[in-house]
Amino acid sequence: MDTLLSFRPLFDLFLIHLGFAYSQYIVLRAGAFSIGNVGLSAIGAYTAAILTVNYGLPLPVTLLAGAFAGLAFGALLAIPLARLRGVYQAIASLAFVQIVLSANLYAENVTGGAMGFSGIPKLVGTGTLLVFALATIHVMLAISRSRLGRAFDAVREDEGMAVSLGINAARTQAIAYMISGLLAGLFGSLEALHSYAVEPNQFGFHLIIVILSYVVLGGRRSVWGPLVGVALLIALPEISRPLADARIMIYGLILMAVMNFMPRGIVDTLVARRTRAANPEVRQAEVKG
Amino acid sequence: MFLQQIVNGLVIGGVYALFALGFTLIFGIHKIMNLAHGGIFMTGAFIGLYSVQAGLPLWLAFILAMIGAGLVSVIIEVTAFRRLRQSGEVEFSALISSIGANLVLVSIAQMLSKTQVLRFPFDTFPVVIFKVWGLRVSALQLAMAVLAILLVAGLSWYLYRTGFGRQVRAVAQNERAALLAGIRPSVIYFQTFMLSGMLAGAAGVLVGLAFNSIHFMMGDPFLLRGFVVVILGGLGSVAGALVASLGFGVLQTLSVAYLSSRLSDIIIFGLLFAVLLLRPNGLFGQDEAGVLRGRR
Amino acid sequence: MTDLVLEHVHKNFGGVIASNDVSMRVPAGRITGLIGPNGAGKTTLINLITGMLSLSSGRVLFGGRDISAEPADKVARAGMGRTFQNIRLQKEASVLANVMVGFHRHETCSLVAAILGLPSSRREDALLRQKAMALLGRFGMAGHADSPAGSLAYGHQRKVEMMRALATDPDLILLDEPVAGMNDVEALQLGRIFRELADEGKAILLIEHNMRFVQELCDHVYVLDGGRLIAEGKPRDVVADPAVITAYLGEE
Repeated sequence: MDTLLSFRPLFDLFLIHLGFAYSQYIVLRAGAFSIGNVGLSAIGAYTAAILTVNYGLPLPVTLLAGAFAGLAFGALLAIPLARLRGVYQAIASLAFVQIVLSANLYAENVTGGAMGFSGIPKLVGTGTLLVFALATIHVMLAISRSRLGRAFDAVREDEGMAVSLGINAARTQAIAYMISGLLAGLFGSLEALHSYAVEPNQFGFHLIIVILSYVVLGGRRSVWGPLVGVALLIALPEISRPLADARIMIYGLILMAVMNFMPRGIVDTLVARRTRAANPEVRQAEVKG
Repeated sequence: MFLQQIVNGLVIGGVYALFALGFTLIFGIHKIMNLAHGGIFMTGAFIGLYSVQAGLPLWLAFILAMIGAGLVSVIIEVTAFRRLRQSGEVEFSALISSIGANLVLVSIAQMLSKTQVLRFPFDTFPVVIFKVWGLRVSALQLAMAVLAILLVAGLSWYLYRTGFGRQVRAVAQNERAALLAGIRPSVIYFQTFMLSGMLAGAAGVLVGLAFNSIHFMMGDPFLLRGFVVVILGGLGSVAGALVASLGFGVLQTLSVAYLSSRLSDIIIFGLLFAVLLLRPNGLFGQDEAGVLRGRR
Repeated sequence: MTDLVLEHVHKNFGGVIASNDVSMRVPAGRITGLIGPNGAGKTTLINLITGMLSLSSGRVLFGGRDISAEPADKVARAGMGRTFQNIRLQKEASVLANVMVGFHRHETCSLVAAILGLPSSRREDALLRQKAMALLGRFGMAGHADSPAGSLAYGHQRKVEMMRALATDPDLILLDEPVAGMNDVEALQLGRIFRELADEGKAILLIEHNMRFVQELCDHVYVLDGGRLIAEGKPRDVVADPAVITAYLGEE
């Protein structure tokens, strides 16, 4: 029982990062290469922290406010990013994250600056996190099976084809940005109300890289990809704990190895292999093509 | 005073250029975003430092750092990217694979340095200040500027005046056509990654000397700046990256000197965001005409 | 009746005239052909009609409404479906999924229902699945429902594109070389389907190289060369037109 309890912080981290991973996943699924969700998480986290500590608002209100702040900024971010494509979109969204980070550092009297915003009561436990994480997975599966998921896939695969079917690509991606913002804001709020303090650098380049690794390593098309990615990369440092100093190196080597041998990510590669086995024609076509 | 800041900014900008040119070279030619570039830069600084500590003269340490960083860069190409090129999934998988490579480098440096901030011995570079027209220029700044100019000139000569360079540029324009014309890809990749790594290694030693601080995490902030410069300069454009680096160095120095250093990042990234909106392909980039949404 | 009318449609790409004063009419209930040698500007014309390219001058009227300045997705929602000369499918997705995207403009369940997975969204999904299977049956493709689209033979991929275009339930269908890469039996089978669609009241614009197919199927044919219309009329008359013969032979 004691050992089980000792894994609880790790499980909490897994649940929070699962939410972050899905907020990244949903924009990639819609064909937008934005990494701005980390900035949106920061906005959600600070919104929830400030409303709780300075204004004493109850938990449901602060969570709602954090999620809505993420959604609103996500919608705003969608407008300029719609003009950009590919890596330019990624860099512009990176600039957005840096602007949020610097603004949080600068606005010391509101955010606490570099020292961070502390003294947040711990209002969120494993149960709450689990409920929100399960709800998120449900929503992701529902979207996949709906017209929205089909529109996301069409826009990602071939924008010209998607518009020829009457899909408004800019609007479709804007919806993805809003869902991403909602999740980022919500899980940012949960993070703030779970860990006593938030500080600006927590939502920076490092977190972007971690979250992107979850999604790309796990698989960025299947709903189960991010789940597998988060589970693996959160568990890895624990499993390799005996290796002490070499842990980071092992982590790096595993990222390299998985990408080398499963370039689409774990789940998507496995799905592709299974389809290929079930459809012998595919192999034929590949040989011909 | 203002002019002094401009000079300081230009010198720093020159070092940024060394870092950014290597990054943009790989991106422009192979369409690979090498996130291990910061780690290669850091490796250069470490090799330079350990060579000096072993008693070698600085000039030799500098050359060893360049060669060492170049080789590390080539090893990363082979281990992190080579297989991915055939998979057709390079865009995303190369990002994560190079993050992995970066972590390996960072982890090795962390173990070697025991997480300490390291410094060059005090007298590694003579502390001499020249005064010209009321401006103070240290011998180190002068050396940095001269080396940056020499290396950038060397790279331009290589790319635009030699047969190898012509092949490299052919691959950048159309990899498939270049391959059909008999250019061997592995030779091209070896050259571009070697060059890119050597430039990063040089930048690493210079930055280590200039800020007198070498540590295993020093690559990350440079990687961020590298993005900015590459995008502003236009992908794969040597001249663009150079102009953007110098401008970036000056802008950063000025905003730190006259505004708060905490505002400096807001200004720089705000500017980057604005530039991208006005010119979706960068200041010097060409329109790639990928937009299908509206009527063109 | 939703007719398509082009009035003096003109397009130049930085001095190169790709479409030169083209006026034509694609009436509902008919199959209209558009032929011409390679590089005559047929695909450019399709892109001008469907909103992928902007007109330099002239008008495109669809059901009496001027759509010349509308973006491609709006044109599609007005009831225009198309296929692509260079097949554009989601290659890894199943045939069924590829066809189902086509229903997009008719889906009615709310966004919230789709996101939350409410019963209305699930009912719609099941209904569309059935409708898609019916379409697959009509094209003799039911057996391929779960195959990845990219694994199919060329002719089958073209059929998937057509089913997807039909799923949008368009009033006008633009078919860009629909039987390229098919044998005569398959082409004939498709021709029958096209005729049925026209009889249902849809307008069809058929771009095709296969002259026999055009002659058998089209009610009226336009001939394009160098961006300009050089002939129009009944297929029989058009193929005998000296200008058309020169245009084609000149190419050889």
